Amino acid sequence: MTQFPPPANRAIAKLVIAGGFGVGKTTAIGSVSDITPLRTEEVLTTQSTATDSLHGIEDKTTTTVACDYGRVGWDDPDPVELYLFGTPGQPRFWSFWHDLCEGALGAVVLADTRRLESSFPAADFFEQRRLPFVIAINRFPGTETRTLPEIREAFDVDEQVPLMFCDARNADSVAGVLLTLVQHITRITSAHSTLLDA
Amino acid sequence: MNSPTGQDSLEAEALEDTATIVRLYAVTDGRTRARHHLSLHTVLGPGRRPPRPGLSEESARIVELCGQRHRPLAELAGVLALPVTAVSVLVSDLIDAQALALPIPDRRSAGSDLQLLQAISAGLRRRHPNATAKAG
Ligand SMILES: Nc1nc2c(ncn2[C@@H]2O[C@H](COP(=O)(O)OP(=O)(O)OP(=O)(O)O)[C@@H](O)[C@H]2O)c(=O)[nH]1
Ligand SMILES: [Mg+2]
Repeated sequence: MTQFPPPANRAIAKLVIAGGFGVGKTTAIGSVSDITPLRTEEVLTTQSTATDSLHGIEDKTTTTVACDYGRVGWDDPDPVELYLFGTPGQPRFWSFWHDLCEGALGAVVLADTRRLESSFPAADFFEQRRLPFVIAINRFPGTETRTLPEIREAFDVDEQVPLMFCDARNADSVAGVLLTLVQHITRITSAHSTLLDA
Repeated sequence: MNSPTGQDSLEAEALEDTATIVRLYAVTDGRTRARHHLSLHTVLGPGRRPPRPGLSEESARIVELCGQRHRPLAELAGVLALPVTAVSVLVSDLIDAQALALPIPDRRSAGSDLQLLQAISAGLRRRHPNATAKAG
């Protein structure tokens, strides 16, 4: 393992990348992360219901959920350590999603035109939580072409929410998505502070 | 990654979960609650005291990892391949023993939020000169 000096002076920032299964979340994080994305597991206690119990083996009261974790840091021009958390599609486990979003500046909803709807719950979640987010469509080759206006209509999100295509395997493309997100958050934050100052 | 296709994979998944939980209880002596409130992104660094002798393998590894660089809880859990809850319990013990410390205040003001956002933009642009943000 590479030994880094403790980056004690870096400001910490956290962003979340969410979307349906197989849309390219882990790939996107890996494209920009300094480390290979790590899988982080959490054990949740869930209410055991009839549908959850596996024909008498046990009443399943705990479930394992996982998220991706990656990070990218730099010291110029200003020291920052950016944490990237990836989480799969369904906010089935709300407490976990809330934990994941706690302290986050914003989120990317990653989607894939083959199964756009698998990323709708993520967009709904961030909208309800009022966490600034952008929607990035990871284009897989040979998939149907849908225009951005069509996709926006399908997502049914606010006009202000930036929507773009990306390639999760390409670092510059993912960095462009993150830049778009950061600019979007900046706009929202400045609008807020202007309101407060007035 | 395996996709759940039928009952067999569901059973396998349940067994896998059980194995994870057994591991969790093994490393924490059955405890599932941490004394400190730690988030996934809570950063941990080395403490003022050397870890006491006889530390568990997992705890010793956590101290070692945080001595190399500051790391958030999620990174420790990922590297150790242990559930976040288990690592939280171990980390809490280590904080109490001053073998680990919380080096970074967790709160930011709105004013410094804008500065942080600018610092992220500037850094990303420097790292990825060919990246373009969507205008708008
Ligand atoms: N052609 C193409 N393949 C991609 C792209 N992004 C990801 N893939 C591939 O698609 C598959 C799924 O990508 P992942 O990054 O694992 O997707 P994920 O969202 O993390 O998937 P889950 O964690 O299982 O929900 C992998 O085999 C990737 O190599 C892309 O932009 N183009
Ligand atoms: Mg993944």
